[in-house]
Amino acid sequence: MKPWVDNLRKIGFLILSTVGGLILWHLFTAYSNIPSFIFPKPVEVWARLITVLADGSLIYHTLVTLQEVILGLALGLTTAIVTGYFLAKSRLVERVLSPYIVASQSIPIVAIAPLLVIWLGPGILSKILTSALIVFFPVLVNTIVGLRSVPNELYDLMRSLQASHLQRITKLEIPAALPVFLGGLRIGATLAVIGAVVGEFVGADKGLGFLVNVGRGLYDTALVFVAVFTLVLLALGLYGTVVYLENHLLSWQKRNGE
Amino acid sequence: MKGTKKLILILLAVMLVSSCTGVDGGEQTPEELIVIRLPMGYIPNVQYAPFYAGMEEGFFADEGLAIEFDYSYETDGVALVGANEIQFSLVSGEQVPIARAEGLPIVYVLAWYGQYPVAVIAKSEQNLNSPQDMAGKSIGLPGLFGANYVGLRALMGYAGLEEKDLTLESVGFNQVEVLAADTAEVIVGYVANEPVQLAAQGYDLDVLLVSDYLDLVSNGLITNETTLAENPDLVRRMVSATLKSIQFAVENPEQAYQHCFKYVEGLEDANQEVQTQVLESSLALYQTDPYGYSKPQAWENMMEVLLDMGLMKAEINLTEAYTNEFSQ
Repeated sequence: MKPWVDNLRKIGFLILSTVGGLILWHLFTAYSNIPSFIFPKPVEVWARLITVLADGSLIYHTLVTLQEVILGLALGLTTAIVTGYFLAKSRLVERVLSPYIVASQSIPIVAIAPLLVIWLGPGILSKILTSALIVFFPVLVNTIVGLRSVPNELYDLMRSLQASHLQRITKLEIPAALPVFLGGLRIGATLAVIGAVVGEFVGADKGLGFLVNVGRGLYDTALVFVAVFTLVLLALGLYGTVVYLENHLLSWQKRNGE
Repeated sequence: MKGTKKLILILLAVMLVSSCTGVDGGEQTPEELIVIRLPMGYIPNVQYAPFYAGMEEGFFADEGLAIEFDYSYETDGVALVGANEIQFSLVSGEQVPIARAEGLPIVYVLAWYGQYPVAVIAKSEQNLNSPQDMAGKSIGLPGLFGANYVGLRALMGYAGLEEKDLTLESVGFNQVEVLAADTAEVIVGYVANEPVQLAAQGYDLDVLLVSDYLDLVSNGLITNETTLAENPDLVRRMVSATLKSIQFAVENPEQAYQHCFKYVEGLEDANQEVQTQVLESSLALYQTDPYGYSKPQAWENMMEVLLDMGLMKAEINLTEAYTNEFSQ
């Protein structure tokens, strides 16, 4: 089958599934007698979407959350990659740090978030850190696994070629660890959105988490739905970006496999 | 095989004995009592002492009721009552006009607090002597929603201040820590809670009560139009038991406090002096005249503030939003 036909089929199925879902949602809300403040109809959510798009508030709050997510992701990634490198390379460092890292993962982020607001203030920094904290662990684990999956024979080869330390990192370790690392990034990218929203839930006056709180406070459930769907789109967009990066950066793997 | 049979027989015997003796660890509610799930809007706290006392002293049981305390979000309680999933909830006053404007058929039937419980608080060096003194200061509040925000905006309106005249910081429910750490110069909180906690830590404070400047409808008990129409007797019994409970707590604060230990986990380890003060401050709030009565002017004022804030887009018929019929 030609690729464009395959793509067209995929898009067709996506549209069918979306329309089917909307019809089911409409039928459920129309015939179940559930009030709008509990479960709004699709048309009500659509109307609310148009309102917040027209007054610019949805774009504003989305950009705020996006900024927190991107900065949180950047911070979480950098810290996880650096820590992961040292943990992968040194058993001693791993033994010393692992208990702390594993223990830190058992602390719910919602319990930490209020403390971050107290320590760092109610501004953007506490949201960035919440996002970074939630991104950190999956990326860290995948960085370690990725680096440890490099076969010893390839290190021997690099040594025989008298490769420098930098060359070993850029020519061997990064390309070899990249597939596993990007797997961690896929998870991290979507988690970053959750982290930022948790931060906004605790204390914020802007962002999509704040918009959800406003919707709940005003019994405007349609607004809550608009904010939640925007968050889903944001997470899907980030996930898609990582998949695109994967396809782009790992194209050599496919070529070798052919 | 023999061992397995033995084990099964023992288990069956244990189950049989358990079912006969009711060894299930649960407390049995007499069948005639109607269990009322009551969202309280906050965590277990001594400020709810009248309800705890009412349960222990039998005021609710006398009316054929048993309260199942629910500490979920206030807005969830309002939505559930609005959808007639539950019959009652304890909410702050501003929620009623906001919810009714969105089509939730809730009705306020009893004033739990006689005055709006929100205050702005600052360390005394900030010289917060009047609402006008908030100008130019950073104000920490849980968020731009709920009773704290409404109370602050009411004070700002009184002082002729707009949001651009001060810096609002959404700090979550961390007002005590934020003021102690000087992250905000002024905080907004409940008069029975944050000022008491801060004073106990040795801070010298200035406290401005919203109710000293504007009469706003305060926390109260809500039901819905369906319950009012189909089961007014249930409403009457619930209000009657609550009023007796409030009166008991006001007249017997020490006994009411003792009843809290059963319901507020960790109370025995908390600072007893602070907790007693929280109850004392709350007792002052309960005392409406007469108990449970909400003033029509307070409703008018509240609607005006909410319209001014943009939290309501149009006026509502306030006579449908509340009734003093059951509390008189």
